[in-house]
Amino acid sequence: MKINQNEAEEALETINLTIKKTRRAIAQNGTYIFLIITGAVWMVGFMANQFLQGDILQYIWIGLSLIGSALSVLIGSQMVQQVRGELTKIYGRRVGLFWFLLVLFGIAVIIVAQPANGKQITLMIVLLVMLGQMAMSLLFSFSSTWWSVPMAVLSLMGYYLFPEYFYLWMSILVGGGMVAFGVYIRTRW
Amino acid sequence: MTNLELNEVIHQPVRLQIMAALTSMEPGNEVNFTYLQDVLNLTSGNLGAHLRKLEESGYVNTNKTFIDRKPCTFISASEAGREAFKEHVAALEYILNSKEG
Repeated sequence: MKINQNEAEEALETINLTIKKTRRAIAQNGTYIFLIITGAVWMVGFMANQFLQGDILQYIWIGLSLIGSALSVLIGSQMVQQVRGELTKIYGRRVGLFWFLLVLFGIAVIIVAQPANGKQITLMIVLLVMLGQMAMSLLFSFSSTWWSVPMAVLSLMGYYLFPEYFYLWMSILVGGGMVAFGVYIRTRW
Repeated sequence: MTNLELNEVIHQPVRLQIMAALTSMEPGNEVNFTYLQDVLNLTSGNLGAHLRKLEESGYVNTNKTFIDRKPCTFISASEAGREAFKEHVAALEYILNSKEG
């Protein structure tokens, strides 16, 4: 079998594109659903923080967290496993352990730092979530790393530049940004 | 003089994509047939036909199973398939880098 250099180059390009596409598809499989759910919860919750006051906020956040968790568990359990193998199982367990430990570290940081108000607690939680997302992206799919960095920067900008509208900023830009990115992954990626 | 040879079974464009996708996964991992079909943007008939050819050559393994009582097929690259694909890529690189063209 004989082929020329152009054909060899085309074949190698096809191989590289397919490898890239497959790895990205596997790494992003189902991610969009959780991005949309988390983004929607944050949109509604932070919007409530901006415009409401008092005990009702607690109930709104508890309700939203329960709905978000229930939806995530329900959808996650119904998703067909697309790639399976021993290593995938091990990675899955490690990812779960990582997020569990990050939550514990987050609680410890908040207890030690004793943030002065809800805005500081919000910013700490958001920064920790973005740190976790960035770590996962760097380990499993480098191409999706970029979005957590601008989200973290936007959150910091909102906190320092527009403290009066911080929650509105978080609702529209961060929560809305997650929903938009989830929709983008589903439809365009 | 080189012993690097192109593999005619693998070089076919669709099979080249299938082998690239399967070998990009960790050894021991297998992918759902319908998911592979979506990723490679192929019809089930087309993917099935090319997978049969690759299976006949011993390059892929298929594992038919049931998930929630629904039939499900998982595909993986065999060790021979990984080796053949690696040699095919080496042959392509050799052609690309050779001076004769």
